Amino acid sequence: MQPLLKVENLVKHYAAGRSARSKDKLAAVDGVSLSIRSGETLALVGESGSGKSTLAQCIACLEPPTSGSIWFEGIDVTALGENQQRLFRPQIQLVFQDPASSLNPRWTALEIVSEPFLVQRRFTKPDRVVRALQLLDHVAIPRKMAGRRPHELSGGQKQRLAIARALALEPKLIILDEALSALDCSVQAQISNLLLELQSSLGLTYLFITHDFAMAAHLADEIAVMERGRIVESGPAKKILSSPSHEVTRSLLAATPSFIETPSVLVHA
Amino acid sequence: MRYFLRRTLHAVFLLFGVSLLTFLFSALTPGNYFDEMRLNPQISPETIAALRAQYQLDRPLPIRYAHWLNAVAHGELGFSFAYNSPVAPLLWVRARNTLLLTVTATLFAWLLALPLGVWSAARFGQAPDRVVSWTTATLLVIPDLVLALGLLILAVRTGWFPTGGLVSVGYEEFSPLHKLRDLALHMALPVLALVLAALPMLVRHVRASVAEVFDAPFLRAALGHGIPHRKLLYGYALRAAANPLVSLFGFSLGTLLSGSLLVEVVMSWPGLGPLLLESILARDLYVVIGGVLLSMVFLVAGNLFADVLLYWTDPRIRTAASTK
Amino acid sequence: MSQRLKLTKWLVVLVVLHCIVVGAGFFAPYNPVEQDREHPYLPPMRVHLMDAQNHFHLRPFFHPLRLRTGSFDQYEEDTTSAVPLRFFTRGAAYRLLGLVPSRLHLFGSTDARIYLLGSDAYGRDQLSRILYGGQVSLLAGLLGAGVTLFLGALIGMAAGYFGGWRDELLMRVAELFLALPWLYLLFALRAFLPLAVSPIQAFLLVVAVIGMVGWARPARLVRGVVLSVKERDFVRAARGFGGSDIYLLRRHILPETASVLLTQAVILVPQFVLAEMTLSFLGLGVPEPMSSWGNLLASLQQYSVLVSYWWMYLPALAIVPFFLGYLGLASALQQRTSPYKIEEQSGWNPS
Repeated sequence: MQPLLKVENLVKHYAAGRSARSKDKLAAVDGVSLSIRSGETLALVGESGSGKSTLAQCIACLEPPTSGSIWFEGIDVTALGENQQRLFRPQIQLVFQDPASSLNPRWTALEIVSEPFLVQRRFTKPDRVVRALQLLDHVAIPRKMAGRRPHELSGGQKQRLAIARALALEPKLIILDEALSALDCSVQAQISNLLLELQSSLGLTYLFITHDFAMAAHLADEIAVMERGRIVESGPAKKILSSPSHEVTRSLLAATPSFIETPSVLVHA
Repeated sequence: MRYFLRRTLHAVFLLFGVSLLTFLFSALTPGNYFDEMRLNPQISPETIAALRAQYQLDRPLPIRYAHWLNAVAHGELGFSFAYNSPVAPLLWVRARNTLLLTVTATLFAWLLALPLGVWSAARFGQAPDRVVSWTTATLLVIPDLVLALGLLILAVRTGWFPTGGLVSVGYEEFSPLHKLRDLALHMALPVLALVLAALPMLVRHVRASVAEVFDAPFLRAALGHGIPHRKLLYGYALRAAANPLVSLFGFSLGTLLSGSLLVEVVMSWPGLGPLLLESILARDLYVVIGGVLLSMVFLVAGNLFADVLLYWTDPRIRTAASTK
Repeated sequence: MSQRLKLTKWLVVLVVLHCIVVGAGFFAPYNPVEQDREHPYLPPMRVHLMDAQNHFHLRPFFHPLRLRTGSFDQYEEDTTSAVPLRFFTRGAAYRLLGLVPSRLHLFGSTDARIYLLGSDAYGRDQLSRILYGGQVSLLAGLLGAGVTLFLGALIGMAAGYFGGWRDELLMRVAELFLALPWLYLLFALRAFLPLAVSPIQAFLLVVAVIGMVGWARPARLVRGVVLSVKERDFVRAARGFGGSDIYLLRRHILPETASVLLTQAVILVPQFVLAEMTLSFLGLGVPEPMSSWGNLLASLQQYSVLVSYWWMYLPALAIVPFFLGYLGLASALQQRTSPYKIEEQSGWNPS
């Protein structure tokens, strides 16, 4: 069975200086290949600056890659024109790290969640409201909060709102770019459970980007470790966690606070 | 060095752009100098045609522009139809008159603004400072047109000052001292108008910059060393606050030719302003372009000078520029 | 005083001032084009409560002016006749806001004309002309500011959003416009267009010219906002839903520019009113018989007027309270929003 998402040799260069003609190009993503099967969670682990977010933007079709290809359900999305890509975008949704900046502070929760319907011009206005409220229910946000603005919500509620919004267009793949990193521990736990629930009830596929192995361990079926734009190690989660081979993996593991499942790894860096 | 080269290149491009823009304006104009002449029955159509050919007005615009560029490279700024003379000498005389006014006014304005601003900042929030703030606020609210006209009426009703012109009739016959006095009297009102227009903003800037510096630790340290108060104010505080003020000074220099247009027209001072206005109304193309270009050169030179001065006085810019 | 209170104070001041001008028909005793050739250049009349016999009158009155014997331009009060001032009287017909016909005036008198601010060469009441002139000048300023902000917002958004060579090009052009002294630009633009046009056309021309001169600074500011907003995640997210450029600009980016545009508007309006005054004063703006604060001052270019008829200067002072109001409001807005000093954002340079 073909994977839902397949990335082949993706490269993304940024010009380092102000001028686009500058010779110093920064390779944010330097030849990355990965694949995710439908219904699974792939955790992409790496430190800040390793290129994870850039990769996420490329996969979500928000930034054009410099070279390489992205296959979604067997179709080469990178070869499509801008207009056709726009039709694909709803299938891959992004949840960002900082809900304060990913939610428009001037809009109410209801407006934020129903924005995807507005943009895609689906449903009539009253219908949108109904569906938006249903989405709020899905992520356990009380309906009375629908008229509130983001700054009136807690961190956890904001992120749940972002997830609800990501679900609006019934995507197949959700990319969570450090989505839990800015939250308190207890809230993290709540939301990761919510994510698992949604995954099983809606049949979602996740690309979970994080720098924290503990979270990866909780959610992931497969793990890929990224450093300086490249994947240095990848494989099933259990294997990576119990016997990491690359030194980057090992140092990242060593940096995570200890938890029950893999005490042996933390002894030697 | 590369920094200056870049800025100079930038300035040259700006000048090109301005000259091109002005030429383009003239291309869009629905009339030109000779259309006005056509209405005059005393001038025959053949004369007009001959004049047009002489000034090459029949050639397409790019060629005229190229010719003009060529002429400028040789120091010639074209010919004035209205005055029937080359543009350059016309401009120099008027520019000289304008500079007489603006240099004096700028000097006075800065010489007044610096101590006033520093004094005001030293007494931040107290009564003298508030008086100064209030006065500058009032002056700011009065536009220069209103100010200039008001001063003019004052002159006329008191009879203390002449109401226009550079010098009185019979100037050549005066003794040197008398000449100076005559010129000064004629200049007094326009200079006053310009100073009053520029002073409030300058004082505000000086006051703000110096006040900001007052909180700096290095100043407190100097105070702790027992340095006398006045030396503190002028030697240390003003130096540190110099950065924005130096740029401002550069800009002041830049507006030496263009800032006094309105005052000159209102007070009938024979400077660049009235010449430009007349020429625009008469569609005397080359005078307009020459005048605008001259002002722009000053503006651009002023900005460049501000950059140079800043580079020279502020060590932070020097290090930033050298690491580029 | 709290910021909110300050803001409200200035807003109230401005609203009152504008109401007076909008209601020029009501506040002005006469029609601005009504001539009275018998009484040219009358000095301002005084309103009295005490008459020559030191009797107090409850109703204010005035003495009509007559020529002093032996002089042909000196006037004195004719104390033999005391003309009472009536309030809320019927006078010349006008249309409030151009729509509602009315004949109600704040004050007036039936027996003789009162010239509170004097009269001009044709015997027209200066007070009325100043009030009606304010309508023209203020409207020119407001419309001009509208044009400029519209242009500036459009160009700023295009430059900031699309970036690349378009951004470079637009910003270079903006720099050019910023470098040119605005007065020169104004004159050049105006003078290169036809000079002899009808008052309405002239007015529209003035608005267009003023509007086209000042777009560079708002454009730069808007561009700055767009550059920072465009990278915000909620914009990215909206693109992720398939939002087109127009949608993003309209629903996410444009609202963020609102505060910058508002502050710019408040700073630009008085400058543009001044620009109209300058143009009209020099004969390049609104022509007679339409009155504007600028062309009311045009007579001051004659020496005789300058010497003898000082009240012809008064229209110049009319703009001062408006300047005060607008600058005060701008300052209050500045304090409320960004840390930039008002001097930096406005580039208000008296020269």
